[in-house]
Amino acid sequence: MKDGDQPLETIRFELNGQAVTRSVPAAAALIDLLRDGGQVTSVRPGCRIGRCGACNVLVDGQVMPACLVMAWQLPGRRIETVEGLSDDPDYLRVRQALARESALQCGYCTPGFALSLVSALRARRQGGPADLTEALTGNLCRCTGYGGLKRAIERHLGPDPTDPSVA
Amino acid sequence: MTTDRPASISTLAVDWGPEGQPGDTLYQRIDGQLDYPTDLLNLPGLLHGAILRSDQAHARLLAVDTRVARTMPGVHSVVTAEDVPGLNRFGIVVRDQPVFCEDRVRYEGDAIAAVAADTPAQARAAIAAIRVEYQPLPVVEDAASAENQPALHEGSNLLAQESLTRGDVDQALAACAVVVEHEYRTPRQMHGFMETEGGVALPDGNGGVLFRVGCQSGHRDVEQLADILALPRAQVSVEAMTTGGAFGGKDELTIQPAAGILALRTGRPVMIHLDRFESCRSGMKRHPVAVRMTTGCDARGHLLAHRVDAVLDTGAYASLGPAVLENFMDHATAPLYRIDSYAVTGRLVYTNNGLCGAFRGFGGNQATFAVESQLDALACKLGMDPGELRRKNLRSRQEPGSRGQPVRWTAAPATVLDAALASPLWQPGNPAGARWLTGTGLAFGAQGNGLGDGLPDSGGGRLSLTPEGRIRVEFGFADYGQDIAGAITRSVCDALGCGSADVEVVLGQSRGPDSGPTSASRSSVMVHGLLSRMLPEWTQTLKRLAAELTGQPAEDLAPGTGGLFLQGRRLIDYRELAGKAPPDALVAEAGQDFPVAPGQETPVGRYLQLQIATIARVMVDRLTGRVRVTDLHHITAAGRVIYPPGYLGQIEGAAVMGLGMTLTEDMPTRKGRMQRDNLDQYLMPTIGDAPAQRVDVVDDTPENDPYPIRGIGELGIEAVTPAIVSAIEAATGVRVRTLPVSPSALLEAIQAREAQS
Repeated sequence: MKDGDQPLETIRFELNGQAVTRSVPAAAALIDLLRDGGQVTSVRPGCRIGRCGACNVLVDGQVMPACLVMAWQLPGRRIETVEGLSDDPDYLRVRQALARESALQCGYCTPGFALSLVSALRARRQGGPADLTEALTGNLCRCTGYGGLKRAIERHLGPDPTDPSVA
Repeated sequence: MTTDRPASISTLAVDWGPEGQPGDTLYQRIDGQLDYPTDLLNLPGLLHGAILRSDQAHARLLAVDTRVARTMPGVHSVVTAEDVPGLNRFGIVVRDQPVFCEDRVRYEGDAIAAVAADTPAQARAAIAAIRVEYQPLPVVEDAASAENQPALHEGSNLLAQESLTRGDVDQALAACAVVVEHEYRTPRQMHGFMETEGGVALPDGNGGVLFRVGCQSGHRDVEQLADILALPRAQVSVEAMTTGGAFGGKDELTIQPAAGILALRTGRPVMIHLDRFESCRSGMKRHPVAVRMTTGCDARGHLLAHRVDAVLDTGAYASLGPAVLENFMDHATAPLYRIDSYAVTGRLVYTNNGLCGAFRGFGGNQATFAVESQLDALACKLGMDPGELRRKNLRSRQEPGSRGQPVRWTAAPATVLDAALASPLWQPGNPAGARWLTGTGLAFGAQGNGLGDGLPDSGGGRLSLTPEGRIRVEFGFADYGQDIAGAITRSVCDALGCGSADVEVVLGQSRGPDSGPTSASRSSVMVHGLLSRMLPEWTQTLKRLAAELTGQPAEDLAPGTGGLFLQGRRLIDYRELAGKAPPDALVAEAGQDFPVAPGQETPVGRYLQLQIATIARVMVDRLTGRVRVTDLHHITAAGRVIYPPGYLGQIEGAAVMGLGMTLTEDMPTRKGRMQRDNLDQYLMPTIGDAPAQRVDVVDDTPENDPYPIRGIGELGIEAVTPAIVSAIEAATGVRVRTLPVSPSALLEAIQAREAQS
C-alpha cells in the first residue's frame, strides 16, 4: 500500500492461522490491509464508521469492525475472517443455520453476520451473554428483514449452547 | 375466470423442495467466496477512480482547474466534461443528466470530474486538489412551488403533469354524506443497499469496454454507455454481477460513465466504488410525495368520490421519475375499490434536492399509504369497522380495474380481505399497559407486474446443453439478492424432473439474451413465460436425440437427475448426450412480450395484478413516543409459489424496508443539502427493530391460468406503512400523516389527548 507521504511501519500479526508482515502506515485501517489487492474480500466496506458490520473480523476471537481497527493495534493479534474458519465448529454451525433458514439474500453482509454469531457463541460458552439477537444489532442487512436470521437463531443456535442438534 | 374449488390458504415456510437443502451459491455467499463487483481488486493493472462532486446544490460552474491534480503522485488521468467522447448526457426516460457538469451544477453530488490513480488514497487526494469556482444560484427546494421558480432545465421545473378522471368528482363530493380531507407526506428514503454503487470498467484491448458492475439492466446500459463513449454498441458490454442489493437504486447508471471514460483514457481497468458518504450525498432516493386526498361516501359507507392532488419531488434530474409518477397515479385511484368518480392529478417537479428515481414500490406504496389512511378516516367518521367499510367497496374478481382496464387477479379481493380479518392479530381490545400502548392496524394494497401503460416491455431467454452435460438457462436479469437463479433452477427442475446440480443459470450478460430490465416485479413472469415456450420442444429434442443414441423409443424416455431414464433406470447421462449430439441441436431461444390484456390496443395500467393485506401490531412508548412494530401478518395473493425461500424473503424484506420508511428513514434536505451522511444518522431497521412476521399465501389461480407465476419483489412494501400507521392510531388515538413518524410529535399528540380526557 502506497499511501501518500506517511511513514511506513512493519506490522506483524496472525491472519487466519498464517503469520503475516506488512509495511503500512500506522493509521491504516485493517479493512484496507485485508482488501488491498483482493486478498481477503469477505471483509467488505458498508459504512467505514463501524456501524454496519459488513467488515467484521475476529480479533483474538472477538468480533470487531475492521474499519475501526488500525494497523498499530495489530502486532501480536490473531485476526480471523470466514476464509479461515472452514473447519471451525462454531462457524460450521452458524453457516448451516443461516443457509437452512434462508437468512441471506444478496449475501454482501453475511460474513459479517456470521462472525458476530461465532463470536457470540464463543463468548456465551464462556459464561457471557446468551442473547444472540442482541449480538447482531451491530450488523445491518437490507435484504431479508432479518426473518431468516431470527429463525436461524431460534431454531438452530438459540437456547442451549451445548445442543448439537443443528439440522 | 373464477374456479369452483375453494381458495387454498397456507402459511409459508422455508422449503427447499425435493432435494431438501439450499443450493451451493448460498454457502458460497456465507463463506465470502462470491465476488461482488467491488471485490474485483486483484485485476492486473487495476486503477482506482474517484469522482469530484459538487459541494453546491445549485451554482454556475465558472472554472474547473485540474492542473495540480494531474501532477499528483500515482495519477494517471483526470477527466472533465471536455473529455466525454460522446454524448455528455444520460437518463433512462429523459437524457438530462450530465456525466460531468459543463457550466452548471444542479445538486450537491453532481459529478464534475474524475481521476484514475494507482491507489484509492491517491485518487482521493487528486480529487481534493481540483479547484472549482462556483457562482451560487438560488436553490429550488420547495417542490410545491418549484414550477414557479427559475427553471433547472429547458422549459419549467414541471417535468410531468398527469391526470386521471372518471365521472364528475365535484358533483359526487357534494352528494356525499361523509367526506374526509387530509394531506400526507412521505420521506426521501434511501435504498441503503449494503454494497454501495461500484464496479470496474475494463478496456477490451480492441478499443471497446467491458463493465463488470452492479446494475439492473445491462442491455439498456449498453445503449446509454455506447452513446457516452462514442463507441458502437458492439464494443460495449456489461456483465451485471451479483451485487450487494439494488432495490431500484442501481437501475440508472451510477459509476459506469466515469469508469468507462477513465478506462478508455488509461487503457487499464478502473474500479470506482462510492463510499457511504458519497453514496448518501449523490445516490438515488425514493420520491418524497406530498398529497392531498378528499374522499367521500354515502351514509352506509359506499365510496362515491375521491380527489387527489399530488406533488412528487424528482430532484435535479428525471431518471425514472415520469414512470414513478404514472405508477403513483395508478395506485392513487384506489384500484381495489369501486369509486365511480375520481380526479387524480399528479405533478412531477425538478428541484435541487438530490436525485430521485426507481425504488421498490415505485410510487405505489406512497399512494397506498394515503388511500388506506383515507378509508380508515371514513370508517372512523362513520363509526364503522374498517374491515367492513373495505369489504363494502371491494371490486369483484370479474370487474375491470379502476381505470376501466382489464385486470387479472389470482384471487378475489374479498377472499384476501376475509383472510386478513381472520388473522389472530386482528383482535379488538388490546389492554393498555402503564408504559406501552398496544394497537393493531390493517391495510390492503394491490400491485401490478410489468412496466405497464403500454411501455415497450419484452424479453428473451436461451436454453442449451453444455459440453459438460449441464442444462444452461440464460437470461439477462441481474442478481442483486432476489435469488432469481434459485427460482429459475426450481422451475426447470419441476418442469423437467432433473436435479438442481444439472442446471446452470447464467444471468446478466449483455452479450447474452436481453430479458429487459430487472425491475417492475417482471422477472418471474418473464422466466415462466419463456421457459414455457422453450422447454417443451427442447425436451422433445432431448428425448429424440437420446432415443437415436440408445435405440429406445423416445416416448418411453424421461429426463431425470443426471440424465434420461427408461423405466426408472438411467439410460444415458446428459454429458454423454451432449458429447454425441450434433452441435446446436440442443439450443432453444425464445422471446415474448410482457403479458397485457388480450385485444387491448393501448394497454392501460397493468394487467397482471397481485394483492397483499398486512396486519400490524405495534407498541407505543408513552414516555418517549417511540414505536415498536412487534408483529406483521401478510396475506398475499400472487399466484403459485415456485420457490418458497425466495417468496418469503422478498415479502419479509420488503416489509421491513417499508417499516423503515414509516418509522425512521428519511434523508431530509436543507437548502438542497442532504442532512444525513452515513448509517449512524440515517437509521435503517436492525434485527432489534424487526417484527415477528408471518406470510400467508392465498392461491386461487385457475388451473389453466396462463400466468400462474407473478413477481413478488415489491409486494411486501405495498401495505405495510398504512397498517403500521393504523395500528399506532389504534394504540394512541393519534393518526400520523407525515412520515417517518416523529416520536416527539407523536408523544406531544398523545399527551394532548390524554390531557383532554
